[in-house]
Amino acid sequence: MYFILYIICIATCHCLIEKDEKNENHCGLLKQWLGSSSVSVEISKKGFHREVITTVELSPNVLSGVRVLLVYTWPRGVYIDPYQLASMRDQSDWQILIDSAIDLEVPAHKTSGFVSYVYPSPDGPTPRLLKVTIPIHGRYHEPSSDGELFTSVDIQPPELLLRTEKCLQFNNLEPHTVVDAPCTVNNSSMCPWVKIQSQQEHGPMSLQFPVGDRFLMIPVCGGTLLVTMICCVALSKYMWKHKII
Amino acid sequence: MFEGWTFKKNLLMKHAGSVFRNLHGGTDSPGQRPPAQTSPLTQASPAGLVFLPRSVMERLVSRLTEKHVLFPASFAVRLALVFYGDHQDRTMVVKYTDIDYHVFTDAARFITEGESPYNRSTYRYTPLLAWLLTPNIYLSMVFGKILFIICDVLSGLLIYRILCLRGLSSETARRVSSLWLLNPLPMGVSSRGNAESILAALVLGTLLCMEGRRLIWAAFLYGLSVHMKIYPVTYALPIALTLRTPETRAEEDTQRWRWMRFIRFIGSFINKELFLFASVAGGVFCMLTALFYYMYGWEFLHETYLYHLIRRDIRHNFSPYFYMLYLTADSRWSQWLGLAAFLPQLVLLLAASWAFHSDLAFSCFLHTAIFVSFNKVCTSQYFLWYLCLLPLVIPRLSLSLKQGVGLLLLWFAGQGIWLGPAYFLEFEGYNTFLLIWLAGLLFLIINCFILIQIITHYKPTQTPQRLKAD
Repeated sequence: MYFILYIICIATCHCLIEKDEKNENHCGLLKQWLGSSSVSVEISKKGFHREVITTVELSPNVLSGVRVLLVYTWPRGVYIDPYQLASMRDQSDWQILIDSAIDLEVPAHKTSGFVSYVYPSPDGPTPRLLKVTIPIHGRYHEPSSDGELFTSVDIQPPELLLRTEKCLQFNNLEPHTVVDAPCTVNNSSMCPWVKIQSQQEHGPMSLQFPVGDRFLMIPVCGGTLLVTMICCVALSKYMWKHKII
Repeated sequence: MFEGWTFKKNLLMKHAGSVFRNLHGGTDSPGQRPPAQTSPLTQASPAGLVFLPRSVMERLVSRLTEKHVLFPASFAVRLALVFYGDHQDRTMVVKYTDIDYHVFTDAARFITEGESPYNRSTYRYTPLLAWLLTPNIYLSMVFGKILFIICDVLSGLLIYRILCLRGLSSETARRVSSLWLLNPLPMGVSSRGNAESILAALVLGTLLCMEGRRLIWAAFLYGLSVHMKIYPVTYALPIALTLRTPETRAEEDTQRWRWMRFIRFIGSFINKELFLFASVAGGVFCMLTALFYYMYGWEFLHETYLYHLIRRDIRHNFSPYFYMLYLTADSRWSQWLGLAAFLPQLVLLLAASWAFHSDLAFSCFLHTAIFVSFNKVCTSQYFLWYLCLLPLVIPRLSLSLKQGVGLLLLWFAGQGIWLGPAYFLEFEGYNTFLLIWLAGLLFLIINCFILIQIITHYKPTQTPQRLKAD
């Protein structure tokens, strides 16, 4: 009987050691793999309605069971329409979680930026090449006091976060760091994710939006009130002349 | 958009030709048949606009405006547009359905889940609308649109009934109603899912009941329409002036006792009919407000009424005040400028009430046109508010067809001149704020010019006589 117990012990230890080795293998692969992932961002369309196209390229030796998370930190000069995204849900293979309620109409200087978490391919395996197109809209900005016709809004490229079920020991992964973020779009729990430090530091992309010219305040106010008064007087005069009493 | 305008121009030419020809000169007394039609489309077919022989056009027009054809046909066309819109939404990138329809549906969904419709951001209407649209969730998404097109055709029917009551023959009244029923603009608006047709039906219902002196119904519909949107509240003054006791004093007295005349004027407002109207309308409005305040609280009051009263939308729109309000949004003059913008509206509304209260439909049309043109925010949806009253005014206009079409083209040109720079601002990113501002002022001038032409060429049915003293 002792012999049977001894065999069982050996088998269990063997399994555990194998699992550890496997984990170590996975974690080793993960570190190698993290270094070869890259993110590139492109902004298309013109005017107040733009599209932010993010392309994520993962390493050729794809680890199965990897989940990707893109974290966008948006400035206050732009907004995302959650209702528009909800209507696009059928045609897109990514899901988005926004950290705060968005006011669609308020001007830029009366609101603040927000953060969004984008989960590409939430159901199903993560492909090697991911493309996410997010429609964004520019807010109205304060009129400029220095004669500038446009104002700049800087869009930072997103942070790429990776996570795999198969490696849960996040040590020795420099230069990448470990952060906490929602596990899925349902935001029911937080998980540790590895934030990829990309080799090429992409700078922010700059968007230009037209703004009013505060220098013209007096002529615009004067002109508007003058024309409306003249129209008011003319209409009143004709109404009085042709009244039906 | 431009195709829609050309199409509308064509349609108007077809029908307005016969209308103007028939109504020019004294067909307004009941019982009188209109003069024999001498090819009414002689004036309506300048080269290039009508491509069929004149006799065929004439037959087509009279066929189309027969009673059992006109109303079913206009409903059928709208229904077809609704189904086409559904198809376009499912297959193309550019959606047919207006964003407002999704707002209504989302608010209705919140109601079916037992929550407040105001959980839906940008829902700024009465909860009654969301309640009406709950079958969108239980039955089918298309229910709301069917409701709107039914109200649209109902508005056409109400226009026809009002015109008959005002003395037009049935055939002429149908031809004028077809200016609304076969007009692509309200067709498009209702089939895209805007709720303006409900309000048009309520306002026209109020006018019909006033014309037929059914005061309780008129007051009920009026209270309901003010609950749904604030702007009909401006009709209160001409309605009050219509319902007050008419003056019977001779003119000699008034010169000596001016202060007595003033007291008599105030006293004329105190009569049974006006009291009945005010209590029913006020009662309906207060009951609905109290009910929804009890259900949804302060948010209901703010989103449905206060937001529209204090609304300072600085984004580009047709209003002449847009750029001024954008530049002064955060300055200390903002409140004073808001008041300065309100004064011309107020003065003109008072003047229009006093000058034209004896013709209620004309007065309401002028009220709404002035309200929309001089408002601090103006979008193309607002145009329907006075366009639904325009067919009531057209029969008594002594404008020739050419003048009428010219004014219509001028109105469209004003919109087009605004839409150009607005497109470049929003979709191409050019700074065209100054151009948009100037185009807004030009549009205001065009609107005033058109209103002046309408006022100058309006011929009321009879010149009202002052009743002599006994």
